[in-house]
Amino acid sequence: MAVEKRVPALCNYAMFCAGCGHGVLLRLICECLEELGQEKNTIAAIGVGCSCHLKSGINVDLVQCPHGRAGAVATGIRRAEPDKCVFTYQGDGDAYNIGIAETLNAAYRNENLCVFVVNNNNFGMTGGQMSWTTMEGQKTATSPAGRDIALTGAPIKVPEMIAHSFRPAYVARGAVTTPAEINRLKGYIKNAFQAQLNHEGYSMVEVLSTCPTNWGMEPLAAHQHLMEHVVPYYQLGEFKKRGE
Amino acid sequence: MGDMIKGNIAVAEAAVRAGIEVYAGYPITPSTEVMEYLSARLPELGRTFIQAESELAAINMVLGVSACGRRSLTASSGPGISLKQEGISYMAQMNFPAVILNVVRWGNGLGSLDGAQTDYLRETRGGGNGDYRNIVLCPSTVQETVDLMYEAFDIAEKYRCIVVVMTDSGLGQMMEPCEMPPFREIRKCSWGLDGTYQVKRPDFLGRNIPGESDAYIRKVREMRENEQRWEAVGLEDAEYVFVAYGMCGRVMTGLVSEMRAAGQRVGLLRPITAWPFPEKAFAQMREKAPGLKGLITVETNGEGQMVEDVALYAKKYGLGQVPVYALPYVCGVPKDDVVKADFDRILSGEIKEVF
Amino acid sequence: MREVLFAGFGGQGVLTAGLILSQIALYAGNNATWMPSYGAAMRGGTANCTVHYGEGPIYNPGQQKPDLLLAMNTPSFKKFSSLVRPGGILLLNSDMMTEEPTAPDGVRLIQVACNQIADSVQNARGANIVMMGAIVKLLGDFSYDMGLAGMNDMFRKKGKSKFEEKNTAAFQAGYNAV
Repeated sequence: MAVEKRVPALCNYAMFCAGCGHGVLLRLICECLEELGQEKNTIAAIGVGCSCHLKSGINVDLVQCPHGRAGAVATGIRRAEPDKCVFTYQGDGDAYNIGIAETLNAAYRNENLCVFVVNNNNFGMTGGQMSWTTMEGQKTATSPAGRDIALTGAPIKVPEMIAHSFRPAYVARGAVTTPAEINRLKGYIKNAFQAQLNHEGYSMVEVLSTCPTNWGMEPLAAHQHLMEHVVPYYQLGEFKKRGE
Repeated sequence: MGDMIKGNIAVAEAAVRAGIEVYAGYPITPSTEVMEYLSARLPELGRTFIQAESELAAINMVLGVSACGRRSLTASSGPGISLKQEGISYMAQMNFPAVILNVVRWGNGLGSLDGAQTDYLRETRGGGNGDYRNIVLCPSTVQETVDLMYEAFDIAEKYRCIVVVMTDSGLGQMMEPCEMPPFREIRKCSWGLDGTYQVKRPDFLGRNIPGESDAYIRKVREMRENEQRWEAVGLEDAEYVFVAYGMCGRVMTGLVSEMRAAGQRVGLLRPITAWPFPEKAFAQMREKAPGLKGLITVETNGEGQMVEDVALYAKKYGLGQVPVYALPYVCGVPKDDVVKADFDRILSGEIKEVF
Repeated sequence: MREVLFAGFGGQGVLTAGLILSQIALYAGNNATWMPSYGAAMRGGTANCTVHYGEGPIYNPGQQKPDLLLAMNTPSFKKFSSLVRPGGILLLNSDMMTEEPTAPDGVRLIQVACNQIADSVQNARGANIVMMGAIVKLLGDFSYDMGLAGMNDMFRKKGKSKFEEKNTAAFQAGYNAV
C-alpha cells in the first residue's frame, strides 16, 4: 500500500522551474536535518543564483553570501558558532567559477562544514551561460557554437579534486535522476551532515541536476539528457568515504 | 603612562579588549603586525585566528561572524582594502556591523609602503557598490587609535553599520606610550543568528526597494547627526583655519599652537570622523570667525582629497566665499618648516585656492 | 624637546637603540615617540628611526632637524649628516667609516670606535649599546644612573634580563668614551 511521505516542516515554497532538480535536493536536505534533530540548530550560507530561492525555500537561519564566497562566510559562521550545523548551498557557477578559491580553500583547511553544490552545467539564474561544468559541445548563451574545450577548458570535476588533493571527511556526487539515485543521494547528504556533527571535517556533495529552462528542453527530455550525457561524464558515487 | 608600543600592536590589543572572538586576515605591509600579534594573542585567550586565503575571503569570514552577532576584526592596507569592498557593501546591505582597520599605504594599485591619506575619498563614500556610508574614525596618536578601536565596535553595533578605523603606515609603525582599556565581557548580539530561526527574512521576491532605501537613509541621517567628532583650536579668532586629520592632524595640532603662540591668527579643525564629516564645526566657524580669510587642508596625497569636503561644507554653512586651499604632501609625515613656508606662500598669493 | 636620528645597516641595532632611548625618556618621566623609516628604504638593508622626547605632547614624530645623528656606517653619515641642526651632534661609528668624515658648520663631530669597545667588554653585539651610553652622556638630559636603569628596565620587561651585566658594561664603556 502506498504511504504518503510527509513533507518536512523545514521545507517552504521555493519558486524553481518545472523539472528542475533543486527542489528535490532542498527536500532531501530538510529531511536529513529533521532526521538528525538539527532543524533548530542550523545556519546555512547560500550562494547567488538559483540558490537565492532558499531564502523562502527553507525554514532555517541563513546568510545570503556574496557570489562565490559561501566557503568563506560559512567558515566565519563555523568559527563563531562551533556547535551549530553549518552548510553551504551553491550552484556550480557560484562554487566552481567565481568561488573556486573560497570553495577549495575551505576544503583545504578542512573546515568542519557541509557544502552542497548543484551542478546543472550552466549559470541558471542569469539565463544559461557557460559555466566550468558545461559539457563539451554544449550550446549556451555564451558558447553559442557549442563549448570548445580547447579554448575554455574541459568540464571541471571539483569533488574529485578535493577528494584526491586534500584531506576532507567526505566527498560524493549524486544525481537527481531515478528514485534509486535520489535515495542514494539522500544517503550521501546524511553522511555529510553526520561527518560534521561528529567533527570529522569538511564534506562536499555535488548534485547533478537538470536545468530544463536553460537547456531549452521539456522536463522529461532534460531528464533523459542528464542520464545519457551528463552522468556518464560526471561519475556518481563516493570519492572519499568517512573514516577512510 | 604605559611603555612604548607600536601602533599596530596597540590597536590589535584594543580590539582584543573590545571583545573580538575572531580575526580573519591576509598579510600585507604595513598592517601585518596586527595579524602576527593576534595569531598568538587570540589562541592564548581561547579565541579564533584565521589566516584567510585572500582579503576577499577574510572579509567574508567577518561577514559570517557578524551574521552570528559576534565581534571580529579584519585589517589590511592598500589593495587589500580594495578587495574587501565587496563584503563591506554586502554587510551594509544586510545591516551587519563590522569594524575594519585600514592602515593606509600610499598609492594606486600596488602603491608603496609609505604612510599617506590616499584612501580618504573611497572610505568616506562607502567604497563598494551601492548607496551606503561607513563611519570612518581617524585617530592621530597611538592612544587615540586604541581608544577609537575600542569604541568602534559599540558604534558599529549601535547602528548596525560598518566602522572603518583609518590609520596609516606612520601611525601603525610608530611607537609611543599608551594606556590599554579594560577587557570587555564577550557577548552575542540578540539579533545574531543562532540556528533557531528566529530572524525572519524579507520576502525574496516581494522586496520593497523604496522602503529598504528609506530605512537605510534614516539610519545614515542618524549617524550623520550623532557621530560627528572633531577637535578644534582657535576657531574664535582665526583668520586661517587648517583642516587636517590623522598624522597630519597631529602635526598641525602642534604647529597651530606654536603659530598662535607667535601671534598668528590661525586655527585648526581636526576631524576625528572623516565620515560623518564634522560639518557642525563649520556652523561654529561661521558664528565665531567672521574674519575668516581661508580654509587650508593639510593632507598626504597628490592634490588633496578632503579639500573637496571642506569646500562643500563651507558652501553649506554660508562660507562659500572663503577660499579653500590644499597643502598636499603626498606621503610620510609633513615637516613643520615646510608647512610653515607653504603657509607663507598662501599668504603671499603664490599658492592659489583650490575652490 | 629633543630629536635623535639613528641610522645604520640592518642588524646594527639602530632601531633597538632608538627604542632604548625612548624607553629611558619614559623611565625618566618624559614623553617619547619612535618612528622607523618605512617604505622602500626598509627593504634595502639600511635602517633608521627618529626618536623625539621631552615633556608634554609630541606632535610631529617625523624626521625634521635632529639634535643628534647616530651614524653607524658611512652611507648613513653621508645621507643624513646635513640634516643635523646647527649646534647639534654628529656621532659616528669610527670602526665603520671608509673615509675621513667632516661635519657641517656648527655641528660637533664625535667618533666612537663602538665595535672595538664592544669587543673589549666581551659584548660584540653590543655596539649599539656602547653608543647608547655615549648618547646619554652627550645629550646630558639623563644621568648615567637614570640612563642605565631605564635601559635595563626595558630589557627586563622584554624578558631579556640575562644580558643585563653585559649591557651594563657596554653602556658604561660608551658613556666613558666621550
